Amino acid sequence: MESASIAHAAGAHAEHPPEANRSSRVDPQLLGMLLFIVSEAMLFGSFFTAYFFIRVVEGTPWPPDPFEFPVAIAGMNTAILLISSFTMHYALHSVKAGNRLGMKAGLVTTLVLGVAFLTTQINEYVKAGFSISDGAFASVFYGLTGLHGAHVFIGLTLLTIMTVRAFRGHFSAQAHMGVECAGIYWHFVDVMWIVVYTTIYLL
Amino acid sequence: MADSVAVAAETHGSQQPSSPQRGGFKARMLAPGLLRAAWATVAMAAFAYGLVVGLRAIQGFPLFDSAPIVTAILLAAPMGFLVGIGGFDYWFKYMIGKPTEPEDHSGHGARSWRDYFRVNTDHKVIGIQYTVTSIFFLLVGGALAELVRAELAAPGQQIVSTDTFNGLFSVHASLMIFLVIIPVFAGLANYVIPLMIGAPDMAFPRLNALSYWLLPVAGIMMMASFLVPDSGSFSTGWTAYTPLSSNAPLGQQFFTIGVQFAGTSSIMTALNFLVTIITMRAPGMTFWRLPLLVWANFTTSLLVVIATPFVAGSQFLLLLDRALHANFFDVFQGGETLQYQHIFWFYSHPAVYIMVLPGFGIVSEIISAKSRKPIFGYRLMALSLLAILALGFTVWAHHMFVSGMFSWLRVPMMITTMLIAVPTGVKIFSWLATLWRGVLELSTPMLFCLGFITMFTLGGISGIMLAVIPIDIHVSDTYFVVAHLHYVLFGGSMFTIFAGIYYWFPKMTGRMFDERLGKIHFWLTFIGFNATFAPMHWVGLEGMPRRVADYAEQFAGWNLFISIAAFGLGLSTLVFIYNMIVSWKWGPPAPGNPWRAKTLEWQVSSPPPLFNFDEIPQVVGGPYEYGVPGAVHAVLNGEREKVPAGAGEAGGNGHNGSARQ
Amino acid sequence: MLRNPFFQVAMWTLGIGAALTVIVLNAGWLPAVASDEAGKIDTFYDILAVISCFIFGLVSAIMIVSVIHFRRRHGDMSDGEPIHGNSRLEVLWTSIPTALMVGAAVAGALLLHDIEEPQASTQTVRVQAQQFAWTFEYPQGFRANELHLVEGTPYYFKMNTGDVIHSFWVPEFRMKKDAVPGITTTVRVTPTRKGKYAVVCAELCGLGHSTMRAPVVVEDQQSFDRWAAQARKDQSTVGGQSEPSFK
Ligand code: HEA
Ligand code: HEA
Ligand code: CUA
Ligand SMILES: [Cu+2]
Repeated sequence: MESASIAHAAGAHAEHPPEANRSSRVDPQLLGMLLFIVSEAMLFGSFFTAYFFIRVVEGTPWPPDPFEFPVAIAGMNTAILLISSFTMHYALHSVKAGNRLGMKAGLVTTLVLGVAFLTTQINEYVKAGFSISDGAFASVFYGLTGLHGAHVFIGLTLLTIMTVRAFRGHFSAQAHMGVECAGIYWHFVDVMWIVVYTTIYLL
Repeated sequence: MADSVAVAAETHGSQQPSSPQRGGFKARMLAPGLLRAAWATVAMAAFAYGLVVGLRAIQGFPLFDSAPIVTAILLAAPMGFLVGIGGFDYWFKYMIGKPTEPEDHSGHGARSWRDYFRVNTDHKVIGIQYTVTSIFFLLVGGALAELVRAELAAPGQQIVSTDTFNGLFSVHASLMIFLVIIPVFAGLANYVIPLMIGAPDMAFPRLNALSYWLLPVAGIMMMASFLVPDSGSFSTGWTAYTPLSSNAPLGQQFFTIGVQFAGTSSIMTALNFLVTIITMRAPGMTFWRLPLLVWANFTTSLLVVIATPFVAGSQFLLLLDRALHANFFDVFQGGETLQYQHIFWFYSHPAVYIMVLPGFGIVSEIISAKSRKPIFGYRLMALSLLAILALGFTVWAHHMFVSGMFSWLRVPMMITTMLIAVPTGVKIFSWLATLWRGVLELSTPMLFCLGFITMFTLGGISGIMLAVIPIDIHVSDTYFVVAHLHYVLFGGSMFTIFAGIYYWFPKMTGRMFDERLGKIHFWLTFIGFNATFAPMHWVGLEGMPRRVADYAEQFAGWNLFISIAAFGLGLSTLVFIYNMIVSWKWGPPAPGNPWRAKTLEWQVSSPPPLFNFDEIPQVVGGPYEYGVPGAVHAVLNGEREKVPAGAGEAGGNGHNGSARQ
Repeated sequence: MLRNPFFQVAMWTLGIGAALTVIVLNAGWLPAVASDEAGKIDTFYDILAVISCFIFGLVSAIMIVSVIHFRRRHGDMSDGEPIHGNSRLEVLWTSIPTALMVGAAVAGALLLHDIEEPQASTQTVRVQAQQFAWTFEYPQGFRANELHLVEGTPYYFKMNTGDVIHSFWVPEFRMKKDAVPGITTTVRVTPTRKGKYAVVCAELCGLGHSTMRAPVVVEDQQSFDRWAAQARKDQSTVGGQSEPSFK
């Protein structure tokens, strides 16, 4: 098959694309991130459907006898994640105000807290006393917390990238979309955890 | 979603020249492309293999178990492919803190056929990549269907074993749905939408390229399942109901994982469309001036973003059950089986509208241009799309009327399902009213649209029959359903796809297709299609269940007839392929606007210039103002001042703007 | 009059609708009516099918007449009339289908209620599905691989499965229900016509799906009793079950 687009482009046309019109005040990257979060939330929705069927429809005891969920440790983990949301907010706030040092500090703290969360979580898995194949309740437990853990991991990856860039001198009061998007994602991960924590551990 | 993060240009580094294409052996191995993809795929597969064996050694399990090894390879090897082909190059640079490169457009345009086998960020190239790939899979999926029909030509066993037979229709349906209908619409829209809304490209060109390259991964994975020794391909239908699928042999993994890639691709494309349509419309292009194709893809993309995660979820849960021995669906361990169907259909019903709404958009474009009349009831046409979107999320359980689910859910779902006939009917009647008193040009795209209107109505009506619970109790899981789904998917979606490909062929390739062959293709398809699928209604009503390799003697006559017709239908496709290839190569050059249409993509040359427009057009009116004296849709290239009222109209001769040949 | 396009649409609609109606009502696509429910469902199907024929007739009539009347003549470069819409028409073709659909849905719901209504002196038969055979447990306390039913008696089937999902379907009864692991599903049928039929498994259940069938015999009380006595004896002597015969 022959080239389609190029043959004619060699003519008298522009070397550069015309600047696209902005037909919305919303920033494209921001909008993309928000839509992505919508679909992520739906992915959690499908796992919560399993939670609903197994816990509500089937009436599985929660958790069934000898097992127990480490509510307290997970509660501590919740606190860690909540704090990390604030430090993330601080990082963004700082870069908006032109305080790059604050941004770096905020990013690094968030990163550390996120890693702490994941480590605690893995530790919890090891000590849980049941595995993913010990009944449907365990599958739901590992399914939902695992899905969330994977999202923490993605969030951490984004944060790492932003931290690397921050230390390499990127981002300023005018240009900080990368930090902003990573931040939104991080807050989403945080909110999702609160939902997971409430439904799995507390209720 | 790294793209939205990555594109953010905080600091622009110096513009780098595009990477060297030729060079020494090492340079060629390291340059993004198929070569690097090949070895990276192998490397990742080997890595996955080593990882699994290593982990098993640590844990003291027997070292070689094909299931975990294959699962790991299926997850890892595609990553190698995507990295190798160059889908992530930019983001890797971003990750390690290199300055953001401004898009240097080295990836734009296609100079030779080789450029279609590279990561390319030009929406026009990606559109063609999508379309051609999908047509390839149409041939494969169709060939599988022909094998199904060969087996079903007579009762008893003909050419394949039951196991293979189950694999044939499962792969047939999966390819047709995930690699033909959904992506081909994404491809056509990719090509046309930025042009239609007056944008130079999509919002996230690199994400766009990555979405495309996920497709061959998914398709090849599904096809490769036939190669699995002992087990053969996945054979539980495209629906993969548990517990059959949770205990199925290894081939099932190829579906479970393949769907993830196809699904990711379609979510990312949808997101791209939404952002493009919302933020990149030309000045003056308000939502009420958008061509209906754009409206249709806007709604479809919303459906995709909201619903597709559910099919991903259903397959994730299945994967957990299969690979890690979780118990979501295992009733002996406190699991629940029917939830799989709820999760699956919560995606897969909306998916059927994902598979037809873009077609509605295509039909609106063509009917209006070929009847030389404005679309009848434009606003209601747009609103009915939104109504279908909303209703579409409330009807999933109509696939489960006989499944033993909550019986109270059935009647509400029946009512909502039947109500979808209303917005769909609005569309059908509005198209008919658009035809009425128009000046109909019955060329190939138009013929396919007219075929679509009648055949889709038939398929929709059999859908209404299925929606009525007492009738569905009898015909569910019979050939009546198979008839319904081919009437809506082939008579509906495929017909609009053919129409769309013919309609935009001149724009995409710069050449005209052979109209006579097009007409022959239409009539052969139309007749072959009805001969194949209409009798399925009767054998279904009479009592032939679907998904059977063997059937009672009483159905032999009709099945033979159906099989013969199906072979004819398959051959008709060859006419299409021949026409496309020959016309692309040798067809007469196409003018900018052969159909005298008003929408923006026709106001530029065929094929369009590299960056679509030299200057973003100014939209000043609706897209379908045929026959309205003085109406103009848009003004291009500094002609803003020059255009007096009335220009660009004159017998509907369009507005040739910057068309250059 | 004859050349008036609206008149022609009406004629084509009636013509196509009537022709299709004749085919649909006379083709005998539905299998024999062997249960109380089947008769009711068929009547409902016929009504819906006839309405459908005319809806399809209308759509194709408008299209055919448009193609005949408004087809572009050679060399004609003119545009059609710029009609942008007509609110009255649009209201009409929104409200009529709505009314039709609501009506059909209500009728369907009533019919569903009717065919699922429990009846007096119902016999309960337990159905056990398994890859790839059916076993029936009768209220008299024996099992068999054949389903024997007494004509005119309302039956209540309670279904279970030992492995994957199957679907219990007797086309002549028009009733169908999946057997699902972990739950007991039920279906009610009142057979009304003597004869031999087959239980057909309608849900893909693996390799033997297409062969998973069991004979159904609807007979009078005497024949049933005779068969039941024999079946009970077979069960106690052989201790096993007869091989399901494949139709
Ligand atoms: C493009 C894909 C597509 C589309 C658009 C539809 C559209 C519809 N479908 Fe279909 N359907 C499928 C693809 C599609 N379907 C597939 C693939 C399956 C099988 C899945 C599987 O099990 O493998 C299926 C199965 C399926 C079932 C389940 C059957 C079973 O397994 O038991 C049902 C039941 O309600 C159903 C109903 C409908 C209805 C009511 C519509 C409606 O949206 C149709 C509305 C349209 C019209 C009605 C025609 C136009 C309207 C007018 C001209 C107005 C006047 C008309 C009236 C007033 C009636 N479909
Ligand atoms: C868009 C979707 C789509 C399309 C286009 C088709 C097209 C066709 N389908 Fe398919 N079909 C489905 C979607 C589709 N189908 C789905 C969703 C199912 C349900 C599966 C399930 O139960 O899970 C199904 C199931 C299904 C069955 C039922 C299987 C069963 O239940 O046992 C049958 C049986 O006849 C069938 C037949 C056909 C035929 C004859 C075509 C023909 O139109 C095909 C025409 C042929 C071509 C277009 C290709 C021509 C190619 C050549 C001539 C060869 C050249 C190519 C090479 C050398 C590579 N299909
Ligand atoms: Cu049992 Cu199919
Ligand atoms: Cu549906």
